Amino acid sequence: MLTLLEQLDKGVLWQSPGGIHPPQFKTLSNQSAIARLPLAKRFVVPVPLVGEQATLTVSVGDTVLKGQVLTEGSGFTYLPVHAPTSGKIVAIEQHATNHPSSLPTLSCIIESDGQDTWCELTTSNLAQLSKAEILGKIKQAGIAGMGGAAFPSHVKLNPASEIDLVIINGIECEPYITSDDRLMRDHSDEIIAGVAIIHHLLSPQRIIIAIEDNKPEAAHAMKAAISRSSLPQDMVRVTVIPTKYPSGGEKQLIQIITGKEVPSGAIPAQLGIVVHNVGTAYAIQDAIYHGKPLIERVVTLTGEHIGHPGNYWIPIGTTVADTLQSVSFTTSIDQKVIVGGPMMGYALADLDVPILKGTNCLLVPSPNEIAPDVDEKACIRCGECAVACPALLLPQQLFWHSKAQEYDKAASFNLKDCIECGCCSYVCPSDIPLVEYYRVAKSALKTAAEEKRQAEQAKIRFEARLKRLEDEKNAREAKAKEAAAKRQANMKASDKDAVAAAMARIAAKKAQTESHVNSEEASSSVAPTAADPKKAAVNAAIERAKAKKAAQANTSSVPVATNNAEDDKKAMIAAAVARAKAKKAAQETNATSPQESEPTTVTAIDDKQARVAAAVAKAKAKKAAQETSTTSSQESEPTTVTAIDDKQARVALAVAKAKAKKAAQEASTTSPQESEPTTVTAIDDKQARVALAVAKAKAKKASQEASTTSPQESEPTTVTAIDDKQARVALTVAKAKAKKAALQHVTQQDDAGLASPIADTATLNELHILPTENKLAEQPADCSDQKPGADLSPEQIKKAKVAAAIAKAKAKKLAQNAEQEEQ
Amino acid sequence: MTSIFIAVAVLTLLALVFGVILGFASKKFKVEGNPVVDQVEALLPQTQCGQCGYPGCRPYAEAIANGDHINKCPPGGTATMEKIAELMGVDEEPLNAQAQSAVKKVAYIREDECIGCTKCIQACPVDAILGAGKLMHTVIAKDCTGCDLCVEPCPVDCIDMIPVETTIQNWDWKLNTIPVKVIHSEQEETAC
Repeated sequence: MLTLLEQLDKGVLWQSPGGIHPPQFKTLSNQSAIARLPLAKRFVVPVPLVGEQATLTVSVGDTVLKGQVLTEGSGFTYLPVHAPTSGKIVAIEQHATNHPSSLPTLSCIIESDGQDTWCELTTSNLAQLSKAEILGKIKQAGIAGMGGAAFPSHVKLNPASEIDLVIINGIECEPYITSDDRLMRDHSDEIIAGVAIIHHLLSPQRIIIAIEDNKPEAAHAMKAAISRSSLPQDMVRVTVIPTKYPSGGEKQLIQIITGKEVPSGAIPAQLGIVVHNVGTAYAIQDAIYHGKPLIERVVTLTGEHIGHPGNYWIPIGTTVADTLQSVSFTTSIDQKVIVGGPMMGYALADLDVPILKGTNCLLVPSPNEIAPDVDEKACIRCGECAVACPALLLPQQLFWHSKAQEYDKAASFNLKDCIECGCCSYVCPSDIPLVEYYRVAKSALKTAAEEKRQAEQAKIRFEARLKRLEDEKNAREAKAKEAAAKRQANMKASDKDAVAAAMARIAAKKAQTESHVNSEEASSSVAPTAADPKKAAVNAAIERAKAKKAAQANTSSVPVATNNAEDDKKAMIAAAVARAKAKKAAQETNATSPQESEPTTVTAIDDKQARVAAAVAKAKAKKAAQETSTTSSQESEPTTVTAIDDKQARVALAVAKAKAKKAAQEASTTSPQESEPTTVTAIDDKQARVALAVAKAKAKKASQEASTTSPQESEPTTVTAIDDKQARVALTVAKAKAKKAALQHVTQQDDAGLASPIADTATLNELHILPTENKLAEQPADCSDQKPGADLSPEQIKKAKVAAAIAKAKAKKLAQNAEQEEQ
Repeated sequence: MTSIFIAVAVLTLLALVFGVILGFASKKFKVEGNPVVDQVEALLPQTQCGQCGYPGCRPYAEAIANGDHINKCPPGGTATMEKIAELMGVDEEPLNAQAQSAVKKVAYIREDECIGCTKCIQACPVDAILGAGKLMHTVIAKDCTGCDLCVEPCPVDCIDMIPVETTIQNWDWKLNTIPVKVIHSEQEETAC
């Protein structure tokens, strides 16, 4: 019994199950040496990993050189992308890609400058590099498997387990493709140099270059190259295997060469075997010895509709359309362009897609090369497919379950081991496109698995959230409990003290009353002076309040709401005058000199002047009060007085506002009885809006007054800020009320059966309020800032926006409610 | 006469023995919880959306195990309902919620309009919304289950449910994608 190595050396071959012998069309394209095509103008370089594992190192408008790296990233399977030629990046956008779906993926569009200038290349000597450095260089060159799957090569060159056997795959079993054939004939020495690098990295016991017997020239060239190379002659050999499709499949090839079957779900490395394509070997030596990244590959352009079929070096990123143009292809009705071979390839939906690292063939067949689409007939259970299947599956069972969409049953028949070689479809007498059914089933299974994974993830997150909420609740409870305990403890400690303190207070009070009675006569001369300013202030406030009330009475008695604004203004003026007078009175009582301000106050017509005057007067009154109080006694506190005044004024204003609102509301609620409902709504809205605006203005004014009256106090801005806030709150409340009024109106109208149009108008009107409100809100805010001419600060704008958003939301809710009621 | 006594005695003895065995087995091999609940829960889509009226998928699974209707899961759609019907051995029922499109969606917050109210964060059952008070919020798209629960609480209506984009990764192979057929038999003859 010979060992495996001895058998390998003797070239013993095993049988792989199944397989077919399709007609060969290799001579169409393998007659001439690999040529080059004129450089295309435009290149599409997909960068699918950007956003996941990688970032772009270039931006639109950048000039790039040939071989310049476009992305950088990390991750074990990350591969950099390089510019295929020198030129300018004109766009980075979603572009259809070379995939059966033709779905767009992020791509760099490079416009060639025609120079094809290389970037700086670093050549190196294999002997000076460590294995890690070699692997790094292979990775940086972006080398992926050239056989079609485009798996990152550096991963396969750095296996976890020991590798005994390396198979270099030069089988190329697809009927049309000859790119590896030509590469082996034309560049055998380079391929062997690449094989030497693989040998250096993996140190296997044997390296076998497998070539099908329909490529005798290639086998001959490789044998010659091995004898020329410095590789140990006894460990590298070319094994010629009989032509059969699909011998080029990784698992099938391993079975033919070694007789071992790769278990389901395992990779060849677990058997100590690695398979590399000849194209990959070529790319590896190019990367190590010349420093060139993988930016071009040999592509077979074949089919009877191509003028000059053959193999060409095509830069990766050249579009299929450009490529076909330069080999003068003719087109027919319903022309198909197939990427890959006729057995495993896919037809392109869009020709403006790039050539990728795994694109080994473009097939443009004429109608007599490819059978017309025939209708699929019923499966007759002949079992031909089971004989042809190289993976020893039961295709008709898989088909049965896939067609019935019982994907889990299909999975139980090892659907995942199907290599989609197409042998079953080829032999099927009923023309059933079996592989397509398997692809559909596979992607459905993949989706289901992904959904399951996501559901699992969601469940974990949901449970984590529940736990978090529970924890938070517990923490809150514990905290509350702790606080309660603390409080109780404190109370216990201070209980006695509190009782004692209370007793002491009572005693002190008693003593004080006694002493007070004794000294009453003595202090009586001081007391009236102290009380005077206080009294004056109180009087002024009362008077002001009365003035307000009068103004309000005026407003509410006038039923026509359009007059409201005017009335309000009048009332305001009156109020201002009254206030000023009150102040004056106060001043007079305090025996200061108010004569200067008198004429202006009287003659003041516009309320601004009045306000300024009032403010000045007030300020003076305050000052006087302050002075009096400081001189007379320490008991009276001027700031408190001012504060009280302000507060009163504000309260009065608020009351006035509320009343104005109520009036507006009443007007709107009563108006439905009047004739035209829609117009009334509009008017009501308008009224409400006007009232609202007035109210807002008042609120602002109040805040302004407050800020003007308080110059003596230390922090005027703080006060203004607080006032602003209050004013805004009032404003929102007012707005809400106006909304409610409008809504009420709408609901009443609904009963009349005129619902939807009015509801719409109402919403619309409410929405129309927005800009006005914004403006109004901004203007007074500006004034209160006491910075005339200054622009609105971004903060204010933001606040206004937030208010607008809230108002919008409310309007929405109202509209919704209205609709619901209507239903 | 004695034979009757013997028969009764033997049967009584047997009943006692089996009674002891059953009693022991019920203690020893007791199953915690209802295993059907786990099976039903595995079928539910785990969006935790609460559209069934229960706070999450597991409570609904428990309700189904206790005989609730199986048609209350709009995210799962008819497919899930059919699977549950099969598992529970009950008749299929049409979904009672409005016809839900099978398209998977994720929430998207229009970030310019977000006012930072945190209401959507509180509504999200899987904590897939990121943000803080008065700061912009955003959805972690890969963790979003598309349950819709954040849309309603948003006061400024800045959340959209957008369908998940089809990419090369999640693209489904459809039949007749490749209308390529094998080489014609005439060619075969000429080539051979």
